[in-house]
Order: sequence, then structure tokens, then C-alpha cells
Amino acid sequence: MSLDQRLEQLRGEIALVSPSEALARSRAGALLLDVREAEEIALGLPENAQAVSRGYLEMRIAELAPDPDQEILLLCAATTRSLLAADDLRQMGYYRLGAVQGGFNRWKDEGLPYTLPDTPDRDALQRYARQLVLPEMGASGQALLGKARVLLIGAGGLGSPSALYLAAAGIGTLGLVDHDRVDRSNLHRQVLHRDDRVGMAKTESARLTLEALNPSIRVQTHRARLDSGNVESIFADYDIVVDGSDNFPTRYLVNDACIKLGLTNVYGAVQGFEGQVSVFPAGGRPCYRCLFAEPPPPEHAPSCNEAGVIGVVPGIIGLLQALEVIKLVTGIGETLAGRLLLFDGRTTRLREVRLGADPECRYCAAGMQFPGYIDYAHFCADGARESESNAPGPDPR
Amino acid sequence: MIRIELPAALQPLADGQAGLEVTGNTVGEALQDLGRKHPLLLSRILTRGGQLRPHVNLFVNEQDVRAERGLDTPLRAGDTLLVVPSVAGG
Repeated sequence: MSLDQRLEQLRGEIALVSPSEALARSRAGALLLDVREAEEIALGLPENAQAVSRGYLEMRIAELAPDPDQEILLLCAATTRSLLAADDLRQMGYYRLGAVQGGFNRWKDEGLPYTLPDTPDRDALQRYARQLVLPEMGASGQALLGKARVLLIGAGGLGSPSALYLAAAGIGTLGLVDHDRVDRSNLHRQVLHRDDRVGMAKTESARLTLEALNPSIRVQTHRARLDSGNVESIFADYDIVVDGSDNFPTRYLVNDACIKLGLTNVYGAVQGFEGQVSVFPAGGRPCYRCLFAEPPPPEHAPSCNEAGVIGVVPGIIGLLQALEVIKLVTGIGETLAGRLLLFDGRTTRLREVRLGADPECRYCAAGMQFPGYIDYAHFCADGARESESNAPGPDPR
Repeated sequence: MIRIELPAALQPLADGQAGLEVTGNTVGEALQDLGRKHPLLLSRILTRGGQLRPHVNLFVNEQDVRAERGLDTPLRAGDTLLVVPSVAGG
């Protein structure tokens, strides 16, 4: 049978629906599927339509229309692919099928509403192909990643895996703050860096790695030690902060600045074979201080340098942080807000506890005025219990 | 019996054990029982004044005791008390 003969036959078997009728029916609950290719969708997507290329139609239809009684209207550029697609769905058991007569060309001519979706360019279509095809992600999720501005605190053990995967996923603007240089003892876990970059600024080494991995994103480096004097100007250009720092003063500073500026703080910390991850939402409740009101006295808290860490553990925790970022940006799934995840690498055990907001948190409790930045070094150096109330205002350093 | 689970950093203070069995009807009682055998470990969890240290969290069956009744939070046989201190490594 020739194509023309087959189409002629299908026209007798599949209901043909005018564009305005299709719009009305889709508003009443019919599923309108646009089966054109991505570069055609870029020219416009009918209101209420979901884009699903014909090549993936059979694979995705069960998720788009779990109910076989669902009415499904198919649309292409004219009325050829839509009829063939309807025939495919008919063979899969759907029976309330229609093809939109004249397709998107007529839809547009009749002045019916459509949107210009954010469509990935050719490079992006190839680069992100395997995540674009995920129904939860799609072109719209990818566009959100492209618009996202994410700042990583530290290009170290946690920042390395986060940065690599966030760059690879297409986070449009990726910032890194680090004051340090690459040391050979970093390389067992800080996989952004390389042996031939020992001595190079970590921010520069990170930039080289990330731009080589994905030249289509913007990498912004801030070679500085974060302090209360520079934190707001650095944070100003970002929406999400990923705390991969290696010390308590920075963690409290990051928390306080995130509360003040209304930024989400994706928290991760490791020691030895163990790690912790959570998300502190914009505005807190809970925030890092709700979880740990004060740092431990130094004698209770060995640093990574003293205590040691197995490189894979920050790898795992940093990747969980990256996953939280992707979910926060795209709205996919459920984040760790209000939950703390605890990982023990020695038993490969992951457990979860619930985190509540401290109703008396001085930084994020309801109605609380921002109390100001503090002397973080002092706060953490001696576990000074009253340093906050004694030393409000900017850090003097 | 109540099971207390410790992070690696505190295990050397409990003869290397990751978990210990104690008795008590409240979180505070369970900790005091722990402290009889391992006083140094207890001092890492409670201040000298007997308050929960601000950098330590205790979870009973995944609930933060600070959101319950603190050290007075009741325990039942079979409960697990998880000790989660602050760590900063990155």
C-alpha cells in the first residue's frame, strides 16, 4: 500500500478535528499531543499541547495517558504524521483518537494561542539528549537548568563532584569560590584537579576542567576566602548556594548570608567514612543553625586534614548535593528540605532523620530581624557561647 | 533496652563500638546510663551542666528530641537513639 493510499484509508477511520475544536476539547480534558520534531516545536507549541516526538510516542504514551479511555488528539505540521501516530496509538489499545486537521500550520493561521517554548539548540540537543528524553525533564526542564545560577562554596572534595555533574547537566551559570591552590594531597578526592596543576589556583584549575567538559556554560570564579565583607557581593549573582566548605566559620557565614539574601543552601559535610546532606530552603526554617546552633569546641572537631577522609565519601555526598540542585531548579521530585540524610560508608548505610525549624532560631525564626554577621573565626575558635550577642555587626576582619 | 548509635568520631570513647545497649525511660536517663560506663563519651554529648551540647543532635526513631521534650523525651524498649554531631569536612 502506498503512503497516499494508507493516509486515505486512515482519513476514513480516524476522526479529523479542526484546530479550534481541538483547543476546546483539550481545555475540556482531551490530551493534545504535538508529535513534531524539536526544531519545529521551536517555532511554536499550541496552548495545552504536550510535545512528544513521534519517535518516542509509543514509549511515552503509557505515562502521558495511563487510562486507555483517555481522549487523545494528535497534531503535526499538516495532517500526515498525526494520522500515522493515531494509527500507532490505535494499535496500542487507545480508541478515542483524533487528528488535528491542517496541524500547526492551520492552528497558527486561525490565530489560535501558542507559546514559543525554550528549545535547546543543536549542541544542546546532542549534549543533553539522554536527560532531555526524560519526561520529567524535557526541553522546559533543560531550559530551567540553563537559566540557573548556582554557586559552589569550595572547589574541593564536595565541590569537585558537584561542579563536574552540574556543569555536565547544563547549569547555565556555575560559580566557584575558593582561595586555595591545588595540593597533591587534594587529588585523591578533589577530582576537578589534576597532577599537572599542583600549585595552580583551584578556581582556575576548576575552570579549565569545567570548560573542557561543557563549553556551553558560564563558569565564574571567585578566588577569595569568603568573609562577611565579600559574601553579599559574591552571592548577589546566584540563586542557589552549595555549601562544600571545609570549616565551621564558613558554614555559619554561608548560612547567615543565605538567610539574609533569601538563597537556598544545599548543605553537605563529610568526615572519615561519614557524610551528611540536607537542603535549607530560602529563608530557612529550618536553617543550618536550627540543626547545629553552635559549632563544637575545636577539641571536639578535628578537620578533614587531621581526621582524614576517604575520597569516595565526599564524592557521594557532593553528588547528592548536585542532585538536590537539579531538583530545586527543575521542580522535579521532592528535595531534602526538612530531612537530613546520613551516610555511613563503612556499612554503606543511608539513613534519614527529620529536621524541624528551631522556633527560637535567631536567624530564621518567624518575625526575626537579621541579627547581622558575627566574628565567625572567634565564634568557632573557642566555641564562645555569647560571641553573637557581644559582637553584632560586620566581621571586623 | 535502648540502642544508642554513635558516629565514628565518638566510637573510640565507647571502646570502638558503633552501638551500645542501655536502659532508661527517658533520653536523659539513657544517657546517664551510658555515662556510667563511658563518662568521657557522655561529656561529648552533654555539657558539664547536663544540657545537650548545641552541636549535637539526638534522634529517637528519626525524630529530633529538641522538637520533642529534649532530655525528658520518653523512650520505650526497642527505641534507637541516634547521636549526630556537627562535622565540617568538605
